[in-house]
Formats: sequence, C-alpha cells, structure tokens
Amino acid sequence: MSASAVAATQKFEILVDSFISKLKRRQITGSFSVATETCHLLMRVISNSRWTNTDEFIQLIRGVGQRLIQAQPREFAAGNIVRRVLAIIRDEVNDSTPSQIALSNNAPLNTSMFQLLSTNTTTKTTSKETTKAQNQDLRSVVIQGIRELIDEIASVHENIELMTVDLIHDNEILLTPTPGSQTVLNFLLKASLKRKFTVLITESYPNDIEECHKFAKTLAEAQIETVIIPDSTVFAVMSRVGKVLIGARSVFANGGCVTAAGVATVCECAKEHRTPVFAVAGLYKFSPTYPFDRDSLIEVGNSGKVLPYEDSDLVGKCEVTNPLFDYVLPEMIDIYITNIGGFSPNFIYRIVLDNYKNEDVHLD
Amino acid sequence: MPPKNSKKITGNNDSDEEPKLQAIVLTDCFQTKFMPLTSIKPRCLLPLANVPLIEYTLEFLAQSNVSEVYLMCCSHADQIQQYIDESIWNLSSSPFKKIQTIMSLESRSVGDIMRDVDSRGLITGDFIMVSGDVVTNMDLTKAISIHKQRKLADRDYIATMILKEASELHRARSRIEPACFILDKETDKCLYYQDIPSINGSKTSVNIDPEVLEGSMEFIIRNDLIDCHVDICTPQVPSIFQDNFDYQFLRSDFVKGVLSSDLLKKHIYAYITKEDYAARVESWQTYDGISQDVIERWCYPIVPERNMLIDQTYTYESKHIYKENNVRLSQSCKIQSRVVIGSDTIIGDGTNVVASVIGKNCHIGNNVTLENSYIWDGAKIEDGCIVKHSIVAANAIVKKNAMLNSGSVIGFDVVIDENVIIPNDTKIIKDPVKNLSDSTILSFESSDDESNNDDSEDDESDDEFIHNIKKTHDPSIVGENGIGFLYEDEDDDEEQGFGNSTIIYQLASLNVSDVSIASTTIVHQHRHKKRTTSTVSGYLTEDDEEEFSKEAIATVTRALENNHDIDTALLELNTLRMSMNVTYHEVREATCAALLKRVGHFIETQTLGAKDATGKVFKRWCPLFKRQVFDDDDQVDLLMILQTLCSSIDKTYNSLVFLYALVVLYDEEIVEEENIYKWWDSEESLRLVEVRDKAEKWIEWLREAESDEDDEEEEDE
Repeated sequence: MSASAVAATQKFEILVDSFISKLKRRQITGSFSVATETCHLLMRVISNSRWTNTDEFIQLIRGVGQRLIQAQPREFAAGNIVRRVLAIIRDEVNDSTPSQIALSNNAPLNTSMFQLLSTNTTTKTTSKETTKAQNQDLRSVVIQGIRELIDEIASVHENIELMTVDLIHDNEILLTPTPGSQTVLNFLLKASLKRKFTVLITESYPNDIEECHKFAKTLAEAQIETVIIPDSTVFAVMSRVGKVLIGARSVFANGGCVTAAGVATVCECAKEHRTPVFAVAGLYKFSPTYPFDRDSLIEVGNSGKVLPYEDSDLVGKCEVTNPLFDYVLPEMIDIYITNIGGFSPNFIYRIVLDNYKNEDVHLD
Repeated sequence: MPPKNSKKITGNNDSDEEPKLQAIVLTDCFQTKFMPLTSIKPRCLLPLANVPLIEYTLEFLAQSNVSEVYLMCCSHADQIQQYIDESIWNLSSSPFKKIQTIMSLESRSVGDIMRDVDSRGLITGDFIMVSGDVVTNMDLTKAISIHKQRKLADRDYIATMILKEASELHRARSRIEPACFILDKETDKCLYYQDIPSINGSKTSVNIDPEVLEGSMEFIIRNDLIDCHVDICTPQVPSIFQDNFDYQFLRSDFVKGVLSSDLLKKHIYAYITKEDYAARVESWQTYDGISQDVIERWCYPIVPERNMLIDQTYTYESKHIYKENNVRLSQSCKIQSRVVIGSDTIIGDGTNVVASVIGKNCHIGNNVTLENSYIWDGAKIEDGCIVKHSIVAANAIVKKNAMLNSGSVIGFDVVIDENVIIPNDTKIIKDPVKNLSDSTILSFESSDDESNNDDSEDDESDDEFIHNIKKTHDPSIVGENGIGFLYEDEDDDEEQGFGNSTIIYQLASLNVSDVSIASTTIVHQHRHKKRTTSTVSGYLTEDDEEEFSKEAIATVTRALENNHDIDTALLELNTLRMSMNVTYHEVREATCAALLKRVGHFIETQTLGAKDATGKVFKRWCPLFKRQVFDDDDQVDLLMILQTLCSSIDKTYNSLVFLYALVVLYDEEIVEEENIYKWWDSEESLRLVEVRDKAEKWIEWLREAESDEDDEEEEDE
C-alpha cells in the first residue's frame, strides 16, 4: 500500500513537473492550447492523486494551480482552468450534502449571492465525513466535469461564430489590430459567408507581422476585401471604420483585458471617433482576478525584433524594450463577445462569479 | 490565443517515434581564460546572470528534444557530477531520458574527449555536440531537418556547424578564436576554415588553396559569424578523431583537417541563423557581452525571469531591472537600468547601480558605485566603494572606500582592505598563485593518480604552502588586513594587451580592427601544452625528447594523411629538429613510428593486407629517410629502430610488416647489404627474436644471392 502510494505521488510529481517545465520552456503557448493541456493535466493528476477527504483534494489542486501560475504568470488560462476545476469540485461537494441541495433547488438564482455573503465553514464541516466510495464518486464526477470543460473549450469558436450575423452588417468596414487571434479570424471567416465587408488589419510590426500577413492571406482567400495598414495610420482611417474587433488574451473581473501591444492605442482612437470596440474571447480567458499591478501583466519580448542583433554599433549602446502586450481599460471596450453571449464590460464580474468560486481567486 | 501551436505540441509527441537524439556536452574547453576563478569552480558552473552556465546549455538541449545527454567532464569533474546529480535534470520529470556525467579525466583536449567518446561507444546515431557554455534561444528543429536533408543528399556529409550572423566586432563574438569561413553560396557547404592570424604573427593574410574552391560556382568569405560551437554530427565524427590522433581542437584541427584532407573526402556544412541568438561564454569579454545580452532580452525567452533554477523568483520591471523576492533596497539608492538582483540582497543608501548583476545574499553598503560589474552570491561590498567593469566572485569582501578599476577579478573568499585601490586588469585569488596554478594544471591536465578529489589535494598543498611561508596575503595588493594574492596570467604577454582576458573592451576608443585583436589559438595552445607537460613531469631534456617525438610523429602522420609532398614534410621535421635540438636518431625514430602506425591503421581497418600496406606506405615515404640517414652507422641505427618498434606493435602482423619494410628499404637503396648484415649480426638485434623469424629467410636469401652474384662475377672474370 505504502509503496504504491509512493509510486502514485511520484507519478503525480512527474506529471506536474514536466508540465511546468513545458510551460516555462514555452513548448505550450497560446491560451487555447494552454487551457486544453491544463485540462488534460488535471484529469491525469486527479486520477493519479490520493486523498482521504475533499479538503485535502481541494488543497492538492490548489497547490498544482499555484505552481502553474508561478511557472508562467502571464499564461492566465492555466490559472483560470484550475479555478474552473476547483469550482466543479466545490459544487460537487456542496451538492452531495443534502442541505446544500435543498438550498440550491429552492433558490437557484440566489446561489451566487448567497455564496458571496456566506463563509465557507459549512463545506469544511461536512467534507470530513466523506467515505471512500464517495471519494471515488467525486473523482469520476470531477473527471466528467473536466471532459465537459474540454468540450466547451473546443467548441468556443463555433459558439462565438453564432453571433456574427447579428453583429456585422453588409458593406461595413472593420478594423482589427490583433492579427494573432485565431478567434477573430474564425469570427470573420464565418461572417463572410453571410455578409460582405472590408477588413483593415494593422501591420503589428514587429512582433506579429508574420501573423498579420498570414491573417490577411487567409481572409483574402475567403474573398473578403482585406487591407493591411501601418499602425500609425489607425487614427486617420478610424473615421471610416464601422467597428473595431479585437481578440483578448485574458479578460479580468473588472472588464479590462490584456491583448497584443498596440491595441490600447487603437481603442483610444476608436473612442475619439465613437467607434464601437468589440472584444472576442472564449470563457476560458476570463480570469477572476483584478489587474492591480498592470505592469506585471505585460510581457516584454525579444529586443532583437526591434533592433537587429547584428547591428553592433547600436547593440549595448541604446536601450531597447519590446513590450508584447497592452492592458486595455474596461471603458475602452463596448462589448465582449463570448461563447455564452455578448456582455458589457460592467457585467464581467458576474460571469466570473458564476464560473469561479470566490475562495479560489487567490490560490496562494 | 491562436491554436496553431497545437501542431507544435503534437510534433513533440511524434519525436518519440524518431530515432533518439543524443548530445555530447563538452564541459571543459581546455583553456585558461577564466583563471583564476576556474581553479576553484569549473567554467560551466560559473554564474551568468545568477544562473550556472551549464543550465543554459541543458535548457537549449531540452528545448531541442534531445533525449540522451552525456556530459564529458575533465577538470573539476566531481563538482560537475555533484551539481548534475542534485539538479532538476536528474529528476524523473527531466525532459532527458538519460543524463550522464562521464569522467574523462585523462583527456587533454577536445580531440581526446572525442576519442574517449568513440572508445566508450556512446554514440548510436546522429548527435549534437555542444560546449557547456553556450547561451542560445535557438530552435534546433529546423537545423536538424536541414541536417537530415543534407545527409540524404550528400554521402560524404558528416557535420553541420551552427553559426550565428553578427558583425566582426560584436560584443558577444569571440576575440580569442575569431575565424573566417569560406562557404559555398548555394549549399552552405564549408569549403575552408581559417583562424584569423594574429597581428603579432608574421602572417597577416589568409592563404587559400585554389583547389578547395574547385567545384563550387560561387563562394562567400565570412568574417562576421559567431561560432557558438554547436554542431550536429553524424556518428562518423568521433571515429575520424580516433583515426587522426593528432586532432586536438574542434575547429582548427578537425574542421580544417577534414576540409583540407584528400584522403577523408568528407564534407562539413554550415547553418547560419539570423533570427536566433547564440553565443559562447569563453572569455571575460564575452561573459560581459552575453550577460548584458541576456539582461537586455536579446536572448528572449532565455531571460532572468524565466527562473531556470527552481528556487528563483525573478520578476521583470521596466528598464530591464530584475529582482527576486526579498530584496531590500534603501530608499535613496538608485537602481538605474540593466540590473539583476538576487534574493536576500541588501543595498544601502545613496548607492548607484547600473548594468550590473548582483547575486543572492549580497550586501552592498552605502554610497557605493557599481558599474557594469558582476557581484556573485554572498559577496560584500562595504560603504563608499567604487566598482567598475569588475567581477567580484562569491563570498569575497571589499572593505570601505576601496576602489576596483576596470577589469579586476576578485576571486572567491578574497578580502580587500579599506582604501585599497586595485589597478586595471588585476586578478586576485585567495590562495597563492604559484601553488594554485600548479595544482589546477595538474587537475586540468591529467589525473593518473587520485585526482578524483582535487579539492582535498589542493587544500593539503595549500596548507603546506601557507605553513611554509606563514603568510596569507600580499599587503601590497590587498592591503594590511586583506586576504589574497595577485594572480598572474599564464599567457600574459603582448597578446593580452588588447584586452582579451579582461572585461574591459572599450573598442570604440581602441579602434582596432578584428585582425589586431585576434590572437592565434595555435600559439596559445602549443605554449600551454608545453607548459603543462613540463609541470607534470619535471623539466629535463628527456621531456624535450618526448615532446619532440610526439610532435614529430604528429607531423609525419599529418603529412601521411594529407598526402603532403615529401619536401614539405622534411622541412617541417627539420625545423622541429632544430628547434628542439635533438639528433637525427630521434628524427628517424619518430618517422619510423609514424609510418608503422599508418601501416597498423591500414591493417587494423582491414583496408589493406600487411604486405600491401607496408609496401604502399614505405615505398611512398621512404625518401624521407634519404635525408635522415647519411652514413653506415646511421643505416644500422635505422634498422635497429625499425626492429625495436616492430617488436612492440601488434604481434599478429609485426614480423610480416618488419620483413616487408626491410625489403622496401633495401630495394629503395636506403640501406646497403653490408649494413644489413652488420645489424643482423649485432647483439642488440639478436636479442629481439620475435620479429626475426620471417626476416631470417630473406636475409639468408640475400646472402645466397650475393654469394651467387659473387660467384657469377668470379665466373665472368
């Protein structure tokens, strides 16, 4: 028994450690793949883990989440998924206690409000009494929950695309400053089936220029009128733009989001011209945290993209900074288009509350 | 955000089906550029931006999906082994299926290491050869796919060198081993490799044999590449080293030798990367340059906040400032830009820090100026010090108001007293220089006896030394209450004047061309080798002889392999003879040894039989003896040498080889009959019976033939 326990913990450590080193090594990048891979990791971790009561179980998953966030603090999707899974576990634990079932059945609309106000003492007292069989049940239910989560992530694009027809009109001019976003690309491709419109794409030099070219090519192949413009001309063209479409990397509870560098400027221009700004993001990108320290959210990338390293006359003699992201304030964005519908930035806190538990906002 | 990366992930999983990729890490570079610090710690464990150098290399290998890593250790092998055993690479979550430190304590050069690799049979397929001090963010997958294509396209392909495009005077480019590459423009096949000659040397130009350029339509000569010593090799490479026992250096011997050899007919290609970052930490100058590159994020994502060691907690702040948790900065201190500060470090009031790296647990006092300096873990800089362009190694203490000028290196545990001013380019170590350099060379050189614990050896000898002299410091350098001695560079000569070994390199003001900064490695190495051998085994003429025979054998072998013309070989031998002041006896001995070795090589590789091999080698090369053998005594001597040497080679074919060699020498009129008899009947020759049996018949035949001839002559008369 003890030997197998040791083997299990070992296997667990290997799983987590190798995932962390992959994250650090950026062998897994991009919110979508990070989210999917984190789901798979948690599934394996849960089936390999050993615990006697639900508290222990929750602590274990929290520990994993903490380590993932530490490994790559700017891949928010990993933390979000861990919190989603924690929410699944907590829901399951609460449901299995009769009093909670009664509560949630009687007043389903009140649950979130109730949980907001109540302390989590009830869960702690009840969880200790779980039996082994119950633990097994919990395990399989949670794994089932993660499977559903994976399906949800996989179908994010389809669900977002459902709304295209309502949002885009014929002969409209759209501007997108995030050519790296697959979600935006799919959104536009889907829209082109029903509508005829023009897309302006910012060049996004230096970090996303290759993506920009690929993006434009894909759109052009789909018979969409596509124009690449330099980032500096955004203000000049803004008067003719009907909508600005941005892809978000991560959305925070206050409605602000982190996205590619240069987008904040575009949003400022849009505000000046009263042009609506739409942000598209899957639910897995919604984070329950607040962006208090905005500088720490922004990744600074390779200086070599700004100044060629070969230039020995300049390298070392001037300072080069190449931020990859921008933080966009909530008031700059008019609507978030997600796989569960469109929401105003003011409403994001509510979506976050529905999907995450309050006690899991901070994992440490 | 974009799911395009999912493809990449599946790509990684697929690699399991592919043949596993191996990597050989050369942890030792057989140079003394980082002395005196490398006398205590091996180069690959020196910290760069507070991370040991080896981590960068291993990280690169992990990124490249390497599955087996062999670290070839030589000096301080025990430290490296201990480090690896305790590192995350040795855990079961490590990306490598196997990581192994291999003690190759006898090795004295990269060539020896490769021969060791070959004899241990570690290599089963294509492998990556990388030195343990590479810092790169390169994605090797592209280079590997090109390697595979080339392997299919060119049967004689053996290796791809990975080179980074930069410019001649780039800060991360080595000024110790600058080299120009001549490449075929279309295929990137390397046609010729040439170290840039030293300005002090007689040569100021690069001679290119027009033959090497044959067969290529267009070629380019490049002197703007950073050679980071990352090679993708086929399994043939170690065996080429095995066959050419005189190859010592990866570039100046191996690459050059292979490219210029008519016999080998192998091809080496280059892969030039423009976008990636790649450089090698091989001198103080590149140490400084690469540290700054890492801090300024040229090597992204290899940046300090990547937190390569598990216990690190760096975060990024604007202006390229990186801080770990628990750093205490006083309110009035000024952290300007490009600064890395490790955990638990305290920085005092009014202190000004710019472009520097400060390790863990350091204590920086009030009103200190730190400029472009590297303070390693646990060092202490007291109030009012000025430190510029210097390195303060771990646990050293610099007391109040001391001043370190450009290029100072303060060794481990050294104490610099108050108000001391350390002049430019001064290197200080804790333990006396003479003793230390000896013991390091011992450990560095070879370790026949119990050098597995170099440290204890060092300690003992140090204790003795200190006991004898009863002094622990040199007051003229470190002050009355200091601890430490001046370290003098081994190769401290005019070459150093250009700042090779120091971290100061204000090139703009120096305004020198690449050629003038360059120093030829060859000069260095020869001197070094001589030095080390003499330190190990005394300094009598015996050594010179030994040295000569080694050199001479190498010369002749080179001539044999590269098919030089006889005159060149003779000239080289003669020069060697004159410079070492030895007699012709030694020259003959060396020549014989080299020829026999060649014969042995042919027989062992089963390319030729004993008879053909001997015939071929001796027929072609016996004219060498014409200028080594002058009178009858010399002839007898030559035969004696041949017999002695033959009796010491492989018993299965030695007598045959001896016989055929004898026949050739006779046929080519190197030796005369009378001298053959004289030798044959001499006592010395009779003593070595083993090889005589086959030759005996021939001698008998010779005698008979002669007497027949005599008879005939008599009859004629």
